[in-house]
Amino acid sequence: MTQFLQTLFDGVTVGCLYALIALGYTMVYGILKFINFAHSDVFALGVWLSITIASWLGIGATGQPTPAWYMGLLVLMGAMVICGLVGFTIERVAYKPLRKAPRLNVLITAIGVSLLLQNLGQQKFTFGPYPKSFPTLMESSSLFSVSGVQVRLSDVAVIGTAVVLMAALQYLIYHTKLGSAMRAVSFNTRNASLMGINVDRVISFTFIVGTMLAAAAGFLYGLKYEGQAKQTADSMWVMLGLKAFVAAVVGGIGNVRGAVLGGLLIGLIEFFGVAYLSSQYRDAYVFAILILVLLLKPEGVLGKATVEKV
Amino acid sequence: MNRLIDHTRQLSPPRWTVLPRAVWPLLAGVVVALIAYYLVGPNISGFSSKLMLIAGTNIILAVSLTVVNGFTGQFSMGHAGFMAVGGYISATITYYGSIKLLGTAEFAGGALSWTGSGAHAGPFIGKGDLIFVASCIMGGLGSAAAGYIVGLPSLRLRGDYLAIVTLGFGEIVRVLLQGTPDQVQPWKASQAVDTPWYELLIKLGGPKGFNLLPTYTTLFWVYLFVVLTLIVCYRLKTSSSGRAFLSIREDEVAAQAMGVDVTKYKVRAFVIASFFAGLAGGLYAMDIGAINAGDLGFQKSFDFIIMVVLGGMGSISGATLAAIILTLLPEVLRDLPPVWPAGLVLLGIMAVVQAVRKHWHVKSLVGVGIGTIVLEGARQFCLSQGINIADFRLILYALLLIVMMIARPQGLFGIREVWELFGRKKKAVGSGQ
Amino acid sequence: MSVSSEFILDVRGIAIAFGGLKAVQDFSLRIPRHGLYGLIGPNGAGKTTCFNLLTGVYQPDSGEVTLDGERLNGRKPHQIAAAGLSRTFQNIRLFGELSVLDNVKLGCHLRGRHAIAGTLLRTAYYTGQERAIESRSMELLEMFGLAARAGEQSKNLPYGDQRRLEIARALATEPKVLLLDEPAAGMNPQEKLELRALIRKVRDQFGLAILLIEHDMGVVMNLCEHITVLNFGQTIATGSPEKVQNDPKVVEAYLGTE
Ligand SMILES: Nc1ncnc2c1ncn2[C@@H]1O[C@H](COP(=O)(O)OP(=O)(O)O)[C@@H](O)[C@H]1O
Ligand SMILES: [Mg+2]
Repeated sequence: MTQFLQTLFDGVTVGCLYALIALGYTMVYGILKFINFAHSDVFALGVWLSITIASWLGIGATGQPTPAWYMGLLVLMGAMVICGLVGFTIERVAYKPLRKAPRLNVLITAIGVSLLLQNLGQQKFTFGPYPKSFPTLMESSSLFSVSGVQVRLSDVAVIGTAVVLMAALQYLIYHTKLGSAMRAVSFNTRNASLMGINVDRVISFTFIVGTMLAAAAGFLYGLKYEGQAKQTADSMWVMLGLKAFVAAVVGGIGNVRGAVLGGLLIGLIEFFGVAYLSSQYRDAYVFAILILVLLLKPEGVLGKATVEKV
Repeated sequence: MNRLIDHTRQLSPPRWTVLPRAVWPLLAGVVVALIAYYLVGPNISGFSSKLMLIAGTNIILAVSLTVVNGFTGQFSMGHAGFMAVGGYISATITYYGSIKLLGTAEFAGGALSWTGSGAHAGPFIGKGDLIFVASCIMGGLGSAAAGYIVGLPSLRLRGDYLAIVTLGFGEIVRVLLQGTPDQVQPWKASQAVDTPWYELLIKLGGPKGFNLLPTYTTLFWVYLFVVLTLIVCYRLKTSSSGRAFLSIREDEVAAQAMGVDVTKYKVRAFVIASFFAGLAGGLYAMDIGAINAGDLGFQKSFDFIIMVVLGGMGSISGATLAAIILTLLPEVLRDLPPVWPAGLVLLGIMAVVQAVRKHWHVKSLVGVGIGTIVLEGARQFCLSQGINIADFRLILYALLLIVMMIARPQGLFGIREVWELFGRKKKAVGSGQ
Repeated sequence: MSVSSEFILDVRGIAIAFGGLKAVQDFSLRIPRHGLYGLIGPNGAGKTTCFNLLTGVYQPDSGEVTLDGERLNGRKPHQIAAAGLSRTFQNIRLFGELSVLDNVKLGCHLRGRHAIAGTLLRTAYYTGQERAIESRSMELLEMFGLAARAGEQSKNLPYGDQRRLEIARALATEPKVLLLDEPAAGMNPQEKLELRALIRKVRDQFGLAILLIEHDMGVVMNLCEHITVLNFGQTIATGSPEKVQNDPKVVEAYLGTE
């Protein structure tokens, strides 16, 4: 029972992270109809920016006294703002010239951007090729335990932040003018621009929001796995991003609520697979689910089947 | 107007022409391979011949990926995964097959596969060679089967799903292969002889990789398969199936309306590409004498994608050229020669071609000129600062992809072959007006 | 079979809605074996959507389509093409990078066999078939006056030629019924005149039925034996050109929008 609850808890926590990343994929897909391949690298950028900003602020790895609570918030904000700027730049420089190009070309460009970010990140003048460990931003002893499940402060922070961000996004999309512009562009770009919506601005904004969420996920990832050391070149970054993409597809790509649902689902499947089957095939479960969904309901759990206009 | 079927038999060529048409590629392959192995190989440095060999496998991989990504306009990102599937299958067959059939995992080939020093005293082709070639083909078939399983569900869907599924497939393959138990070491071959097949087949070395394989891959085998790959892919492209592939890439809706079973042809292209990727995997494994799934992750797939995109999405000769260039590029960058002579020569050729065709394209001339100046400037800068460009190779590739998509999205050659660019416009056949 | 012997295409009450938009409602039509029928209506009336429903691009929400006694519902577009229904597109959809000849050759694809072994080994059957495809395609191009441009990339053809090439490509599939979506759009008066003759010639020479969507009344009224008028997805009139022309509902539909 304890193992079950613990797995459930871990699955939900990591599922929240997947959901945050998946939101970026899904929002871009909803509007531009292409897979923003570079999104997983923006997520990794979020992780590394968090580490870097933390070390600027003098926050080290495990062992040092825990910093003040607002330091974490500062790191989060910093990472989100810088990533947002990067996302904006990528869209303007690499994707905007290709608005009318076939989707395949945009996909290839996105791969180019992804490779660029990956390789730039490993350079000596950026984050360097050596492993660095996630800083300790809060008390790592467990806060309380419910029937054997250890709940740490950082877990609460991860889930809490993720929920707050998702609620903010929900509000943004359904209760603001900008949000309705986003929905209009996603529904029909041409009609939206005919109705006087500045499509380029909406797209830029979507990218900024999406990358900021990915940055937040990067920060929270570091928070959850504090003390662990990782390399910039580690393929796990792309892998995490990919799983988030799978989450977006499983939930129904282009559908914001689907992304959240898909994220949680993928997190749970991964952790239950690891706990009850074998930890070796961790990545395989997620992709097995992807193939299953594509076979049975290609439009995803919450997605609607669409017909291409001919 | 008559129906198509009424003409077909009437227009069939005489029977005796069929056999030569079917087998000349094989003969051509053997001839080229013999030349590569006996004339070219011994007369260049060991390092150069190694590069030539790697270029050969890269040609097979890039050209086969062209069939999917170029002809049908789908987007596979798991080519290295298929290479891994084929490579491991052939490694298994060669290694354990040798142990089972010959009692040892040592090299047991003939002169054609000899990679050791000195002349080979022995037959032209040995028992080991047969096992090796059979294993490569089995690797190709196994990889093709995997391609079918992966392609069928994903190719029914919109194009970009294939990218994700193949990427995921590559990672699953890697994870599964890295989870296998240790291999039976060569010095324990005598014990392995009595172990049943099915127990050996899963002992693939796990994270350490599958090592100490006998090396059979020589310029002969590589270039034999290069020629076969090129001819097969060219025959595909210029066939009715090839037209179906290209029509899907051009306009899937129209292709369907004209009666092309789009899924079937996408799967067909994908399976063929997987076959050659698997084959190349076998050549790769028995060249290095080892194969490790960790080296064949999606990063490796990107190498081939870059070759295809650069060469032209759909140009066999373009992909071949790109494979050669990108194989040599790291070496060239390591010790960068001046750029401007090459730039001048290129400018000269382009000017002559354009003058002859009386069709001036000033923009391309200026572009090449500026490109040369910029590259030369960058080279001088790096030399003066002591920067080694080879370290920034991947960044350059990434930038190349982005710039290419914005400036020349169809790649260097588009779907055309190199010779089609310089020749006159194809004359209409049998036109009377 | 009783119905199918007289009518080659039998459409009974097909309908489709996109979200709230009822693009086509209860559309019925029967075309006799060598009929030349027209489908008209203001922009956005649902004409192209009808073609998409017939050719399997969209699946109808309700209703039934029968071609020469074969039920087409639920079939994929390529299966419907194989059953003998071919079409052109309003917004031309040629294979732009391919040559004019290859576009028509692709149309011939449907009636051939394309086994992979034969393709790679260049067997006698394969080679004979390739030659048959080539000669048949050239015949079609000659009929459409495009033979001289056979080697050019189809995207480089003038507009009118592209429209005709689409018809040639559709004919290469050996259809029983040909659907033409605004074949005269973008043509000059001279070309339109020639097109009229061409469409008649196609019908007579190939012995097939044609259903065409057209805005040019000169073309429609002269060519078609029978006309169906759509407005907002509904059939508002059907009958001979004279009858339809004088129908008050039709006049209203056109005046209301133009
Ligand atoms: N795939 C689709 N999704 C949503 N609306 C569609 C789709 N296809 C057609 N429509 C709508 O159906 C209506 C009829 O379109 P259409 O058949 O193209 O008209 P026309 O008679 O001009 O050919 C239009 O309002 C169009 O916007
Ligand atoms: Mg229309």
